[in-house]
Amino acid sequence: MINVNELTHDYGHGRGVFEVSFDVDKGETLGFLGPNGAGKSTTMRHLMGFSKPQSGSATIDGLDCTRQSSEIMKRVGYLPGEVALPDGLTGAGFLKMMNELRGGGIDRRAQELLERFKLDPSGSVKRMSIGEKRKLAVAAAFMGDPEILLLDEPTSGLDPIMQEEFISLIKEEKQRGRTVLLSSHIFAEVEALCDRIAIIKDGRLVSTVDAAEIRHGLNNIITVGFENEKDFAEFGNGSFDFRLRDRSSLKCSVVVDDSDINRFIKAIKRFAIRSFEEHSVTLEEYFMHFYKSNKTFGGVSYA
Amino acid sequence: MLSLPLLKQSIKSNSVMWGSMTGVMTLLCVQFSSLDMTRSLLFTIFYGMMTTILPGIYVLVTANKLLASQVDRGSMAYVLSTPTKRSSVTFTQAFYLVNSLVAMFGIQTLAHLLVNRVKPLALGELAYSSLAGELTSKMILQVNLSALMVCIALAAVCFMFSGVFNSTKYSIGMSGAFIGVSILANMLAMFGNLGVEGLKNFKYLTLCSFYDYQSVLAGSTDWISKLIFPAAIALAAFAAGRLVFARKDLPL
Repeated sequence: MINVNELTHDYGHGRGVFEVSFDVDKGETLGFLGPNGAGKSTTMRHLMGFSKPQSGSATIDGLDCTRQSSEIMKRVGYLPGEVALPDGLTGAGFLKMMNELRGGGIDRRAQELLERFKLDPSGSVKRMSIGEKRKLAVAAAFMGDPEILLLDEPTSGLDPIMQEEFISLIKEEKQRGRTVLLSSHIFAEVEALCDRIAIIKDGRLVSTVDAAEIRHGLNNIITVGFENEKDFAEFGNGSFDFRLRDRSSLKCSVVVDDSDINRFIKAIKRFAIRSFEEHSVTLEEYFMHFYKSNKTFGGVSYA
Repeated sequence: MLSLPLLKQSIKSNSVMWGSMTGVMTLLCVQFSSLDMTRSLLFTIFYGMMTTILPGIYVLVTANKLLASQVDRGSMAYVLSTPTKRSSVTFTQAFYLVNSLVAMFGIQTLAHLLVNRVKPLALGELAYSSLAGELTSKMILQVNLSALMVCIALAAVCFMFSGVFNSTKYSIGMSGAFIGVSILANMLAMFGNLGVEGLKNFKYLTLCSFYDYQSVLAGSTDWISKLIFPAAIALAAFAAGRLVFARKDLPL
C-alpha cells in the first residue's frame, strides 16, 4: 500500500534521509521509531508530496507521491507534526473548511471524535492550547474515513488520558482494516499499536522488525556463576553465544534463544552452579540501545 | 481550479487588514475631495501617493500571509493534506489578492463618485496644474483603473516572493524592499515632475510610473498604453510565483 524505495534527500550537515526503504501492507500498522531529528518527519513529508526525493521513490497505492499527491490525498488522512492551524478561524470553522476542502458532505466522524476527546470547538483556534489544537487536527485527519493514515507524532501534546483514548482509537481503526504509518519517539505507543517497527537513526533505516518477533526474541540473557574454575572453563568452551566470560567472578553470560533452551539446561546440569540469573531485556531498553549505538543488544543484532 | 473553502478562509483571515486599509483609503478620498482646504491637493497627495502607499502596505502584508507565512508556520500542511492541488492553492490566493484590490478600489471609487456628484471639482482648482473643465465621473474611473493596474502588479511581485520563499523573513524582506523602493521612488519622481529636475529620473525606478493620472486629466490616452506594462508584469510575476510554489520542496 505504502512503498518507500531507496528514498534519499540530503539537506546537508548530515540531515536528511538516506536510502530509506520500507513497505506498509494493506491493513498493517508500521511504527516509525527514532529520536528527534532522525528523519521521521522528512520521510512523511515525502509521502505527502511536500518534498521531492533526490533519488529513490515514494508511492502510495501505486501512485507517485510527488506527481499524484492530490489524487493520493483522497485516500489519506494526515496528522501533521506541527500544530499550527490556519489563521482567523474557530475550531468549528477549521473543521468545516477541512471538510469542504476534502469534498464536503456531512461529517459525523469528526463530530464523534470531538465528543470522544471532549473538545468544544466553538472557540478561536488562536486561544486554544496545544492539546486542543492537536485534538482538532486528529478530528481533521480522520474526517472522511480515509483508508490510509499517516500520523506524525500523534500523541505529543495530549495528556495521558487522551493518549490512551487515542491509542484505543487507532486500535479500532486497525480492526477496521486501515493502513497506518505512525511515527513516534514515544516507545509505549509504538509498542501498543504496531505490527512492525522501522527504526530510523541519523536518516538511515537501522532495521525493520516484527514487533511480536522482538518481544519473543528477547528476555534471554542468562548469567551463570560457577563453583569452581574447572566447571567455568569447561562450560566456557561450549558452543554457546557468550556475551561475557569473567574468570575472576567465575560467571558466564549467555544469550539463549528459546529454541535452544533445552540444550542449555542439559549442558549446565552437569556443573556445580553457585548462581543463576535471567536478565530480562525490555523492548524499551532494546530501542534505547539503538538510539545510542547500533550494534548488538539483548542477543539480537541488526546491521 | 478555484478552491472555494480556501477562498473563504483567506477572506476571513485577511478581513481586518483589508477592512482597515479600505476604510482609511475611502475616508481620505472623501476628505480630500470634499474639504475646501484639501481639494486642491486631491491629485498631488491622494491620487499621487495614497493610492499606491495604502494598497502597497496591504499587498506587502497580505501576499506574505497568503503563502509564505502559512508555509513558515506549517499551517499549509492542513490545506495540502486534502485533495487540493498546489496550483489550485496559488490560483485561489492570487484570485483573492487581485479581487480584494478590485474591491478596495471599487469602494473608494464609488465614494469619490458620490462626493464628486454632490460637489463637483473644477480642474482649475488643482494645485500645480493648468487644466480647465470639470472632473468627470469617467475621469475618476480611469484614474482608479490606472492605479488599480499598478497595484495589481505590485501585488503580483509580492505574491511571487511569497511563493518563492519558504520563510516569512525573506518573503517580507524582499517584498518590503520592493514596495519601499517603488513608493519612495514614486514620491521622489513626483517632486521631479513638480520642478525638481534632479529627481526626475527616479521615475525609472518604480512601477508606479505606469500609473498616469495626469494623462487622464489632460484627456490624452497615454494612460491606456501604460496599462499594458503593469498587466504584463503582473501576469509574469503571478505565473513565476505559481510555478515555483508548485515545484519547490515545502518544509512542512
